[in-house]
Amino acid sequence: MQLILAGYLYSGFDGSLSGVNNVETYQFVEQLPWIRLNLGSLGTLEVDYFIGVDGFSILLLLLSALVMLVAVIASWKIDKKLKGFFALMLLLNTAVMGVFVALDFFLFYVFYEVMLLPLYFLIGIWGGPRREYAAIKFFLYTLFGSVFMLLVMVGLYFSVTNPVSGSHTFNLLYMMNPDNYAVGSVFSFVGQYELFGVPARLLGFIVLFIAFAIKVPVVPLHTWLPDAHVEAPTPVSIILAGILLKVGGYGIIRICYSLFPDIAIASAWWIGLIGVISIIYGALNALAQQDLKRLVAYSSVSHMGFVLLGIASLTAEGLSGAVFQMISHGFLSAMLFFLVGILYDRVHDRMIYNFRGLATIMPNYTAFVAIAFFASLGLPGFSAFIAEAFTIIGAFNSEGINGLLPRWMAISGSVGILLSAAYFLWTLQRMFFGNARLKGGEQWQKQLTDVNTREVIALVPMVALALLFGIMPSLTFDKINTSVLTLIELVNKAH
Amino acid sequence: MKEYIPHVSNLLNGVMKGLPFLMPEFVLALTFLLSIFCGLFLKGKSIITWWVTVLGIFSAAGLAVVQIASPAVESIFFGMILPDAHGAWLKLLIAFTCLLFCVFIYYNGALRGHPKKIDDLLSVLLVVHIGLNMMATAVNWLMVYLAIEMVSVGSYIMVGYLARDNKQSEAAMKYVLFGTVCSAVMLYGLSLFYGYTGSLCFIEPAHLMGLLEMPPLVFMVATLFVLTGIGFKLAFVPFHFWTPDVYQGAPTPVTAFLSTAPKIAAIALLGRFVFAWTTVAEAELPLLLFYLLAAIAIASMLLGNLAAMRQHQVKRMMAYSSIGHTGFLVMIVLVNADRSFPILFFFLTSYVIVNMGVFMIADYLEERFGIATMAQYQGLGKSYPMLMVAMTILMLSLIGFPPTVGFVAKLLAFSAVIGSYQQAGSMAWLLLLITGSITTVVALFFYFRIPLNAFLRESKSQIPKFSYNGLAILAILLSLLSLTFGLYPALLLDIL
Repeated sequence: MQLILAGYLYSGFDGSLSGVNNVETYQFVEQLPWIRLNLGSLGTLEVDYFIGVDGFSILLLLLSALVMLVAVIASWKIDKKLKGFFALMLLLNTAVMGVFVALDFFLFYVFYEVMLLPLYFLIGIWGGPRREYAAIKFFLYTLFGSVFMLLVMVGLYFSVTNPVSGSHTFNLLYMMNPDNYAVGSVFSFVGQYELFGVPARLLGFIVLFIAFAIKVPVVPLHTWLPDAHVEAPTPVSIILAGILLKVGGYGIIRICYSLFPDIAIASAWWIGLIGVISIIYGALNALAQQDLKRLVAYSSVSHMGFVLLGIASLTAEGLSGAVFQMISHGFLSAMLFFLVGILYDRVHDRMIYNFRGLATIMPNYTAFVAIAFFASLGLPGFSAFIAEAFTIIGAFNSEGINGLLPRWMAISGSVGILLSAAYFLWTLQRMFFGNARLKGGEQWQKQLTDVNTREVIALVPMVALALLFGIMPSLTFDKINTSVLTLIELVNKAH
Repeated sequence: MKEYIPHVSNLLNGVMKGLPFLMPEFVLALTFLLSIFCGLFLKGKSIITWWVTVLGIFSAAGLAVVQIASPAVESIFFGMILPDAHGAWLKLLIAFTCLLFCVFIYYNGALRGHPKKIDDLLSVLLVVHIGLNMMATAVNWLMVYLAIEMVSVGSYIMVGYLARDNKQSEAAMKYVLFGTVCSAVMLYGLSLFYGYTGSLCFIEPAHLMGLLEMPPLVFMVATLFVLTGIGFKLAFVPFHFWTPDVYQGAPTPVTAFLSTAPKIAAIALLGRFVFAWTTVAEAELPLLLFYLLAAIAIASMLLGNLAAMRQHQVKRMMAYSSIGHTGFLVMIVLVNADRSFPILFFFLTSYVIVNMGVFMIADYLEERFGIATMAQYQGLGKSYPMLMVAMTILMLSLIGFPPTVGFVAKLLAFSAVIGSYQQAGSMAWLLLLITGSITTVVALFFYFRIPLNAFLRESKSQIPKFSYNGLAILAILLSLLSLTFGLYPALLLDIL
């Protein structure tokens, strides 16, 4: 149902409008005054229920709707407290959609926080043996980031005035326009306001960046991710990897870069470096994992590093590549986790060394795994290839176009692709090829039935999309292109 | 004697002029008398006393509403009290808290089943109510002292009302001893104030200017002494030692009451004193006082939240949590006067709603299953989903998580502080902000132990099923209220 609606939005979306910083070019806008508080000399507290869709969010909306559907299919095997499970899933869904469409910082923050709660319970109640630890770790990490985000948000609020009503506002679009910043306010563009000897805008950018970087996750703030993934039930892993990591990337584009374009340029080198470190570190870690799910989790860290690298390059190719990578990684990681879940459902084990020669026992399953692996490691023809290629091109060109990123970063990024090929292929070889030899012996052999129709129904659309986007990337690029260009223009203007 | 005669009519006039503003307190005093009679002559019919009390508080609240519409412009009774609109709002909030308390004791088996019955407790409540009202409007140190004593003596009785075992008696004893020492110290501080300024009315510019002219050392000592008395009621660091024991030892309804109502009045008092500098004397708050209060706020937030992490008892945890919230309240008081009242009021309201709700649920479970520690909440989420969801919402509100009322309250507090920082640029504001944020993260840790146990862990034994009583339902309603105000804070803030 939701997918149909999102599909409608996608088809109704006009690629020629850019959004980003101009309300007229957002689509499906809804703006209702939500909170108007008169606080004496504090002025009026202006919070709107203000939502809209632009090129960055439209595809993520589509992705969320799709991944949610897959997650629901994957939760077939859940038999504990069903009502609670689906209620929390729907709450999570609402929050995620809200984050992607919110154009009011306050609203964004509320959705962003509300997202944590259902996840905590989903991991905590339906998770694995160490679920309590994983759930609270995840919660604490994210809350730590977002509490400081709250402070920056309020600081921004005091710096920005609504040109129409003259009072302070949380409206993100007004926050993007340097003219709306009051002179001498904490985050004003002109006038170097300093906190602790650091320019306030730099500090604000760093705080916001850390908040979203925890979510992405970026090395060294990633340690919650493997734990959360391993302990989470399959559908939650799917959502976590497929959607929630994207919230981080989306936040960096929508909030960090749009609100602090000047700092974004100044710190591009560092962000690129962090991206490269994530790519390499994630890949190396994935190489060392023995738990299949942990491997996929670390591969997520690695792949999300590309998003960061692409964003840091601030070139049209790099930025489009980053958005594309978010989409592509969205359903590829969902697929990978779904596949791991299938195995785990059958024998409640997912250690790589406990399986061998699965290809002979589960041929169709192996085929799907092979497709997913190849797609993830960036085989031409699949979406990840386009995404990673564009990202690397962007990073490579960056030195020539705006001189933000040195060439070696792009080269290190390609090393990351090489490493991801290594761990995926090695895993494929270890688990699926050779003679069938299972830890559980005969009993496992019986339990390991091939994929059933329900699972095929969930997997096929994702394979199809990976191929479709890989062959016809214009489906995506058409939608995001103008938004990307507008953002780059916005950033360059501040330069 | 003769020379006083010409003044008598003036005095009488002054008194007569002030009387209408004391209507709520009159009604309460009348109710107090009635309730004593009921308790004396209608033995075994506590319910009548209960109704009398509830009606009395209701009418006092109604009169407070009238007072909001027609506040006093200047202090009455010769600079003793100032029943302005702010004071009337606070009276309303206090009345609301007292009403919740009444419902609370109505459902509390330990109090109802006790041979003493609840009649006396209700009478004491009415007296405390009067005292709190006075405290919320007092502008004269003498009046402040009287009001604090009135509240304290009532609270001592409340804490020791059951005194079932040594633990409870110990709590009551501790409370009495600590309380009397604190008020004695405060009295000494006040005498210093009076000695140097010749006046006790702290909204007179002369008094404040006099304070400024005191030798700094004496001023500091005297201020510390006075803060001792207020700090005891508010339970901020370092006058918090009594809280955990008293909260744990007192009957749960009393704990709920003590953690809310006296705080409202005491913070109002502190607020009046702090605001007086900027509004009346048009001077800056003395830096000494500012740093002292900022340090108190930071220390309270840190200690309250960090110590709460180590607690296993629900009531002890709530005691430390209330210390942490006091730190927040003190922080709000420090921001500029003209902007902080709505924020303060909103914070207090949210705090009352949430704290009362938490204690109601804790009490319901304590009475049914004898649950006192957080570990015993295991598996309750399965048997009592509604109640535990309500508890989770309330806990979220205490952390300050959207979309609950606690979030809006914290947000308003933070914005006020950032606003002040922009104007003054003192590092103390930043420190306050950062402490506030860090403690919010820390708070997640211990508040969430309850939902963690309730939902994530299975119970080892079978949990008997009981139907919800009125108390549980009221608690659920309070949690809904916290959501409503969280989504539509304007409902509350617009009427202020």
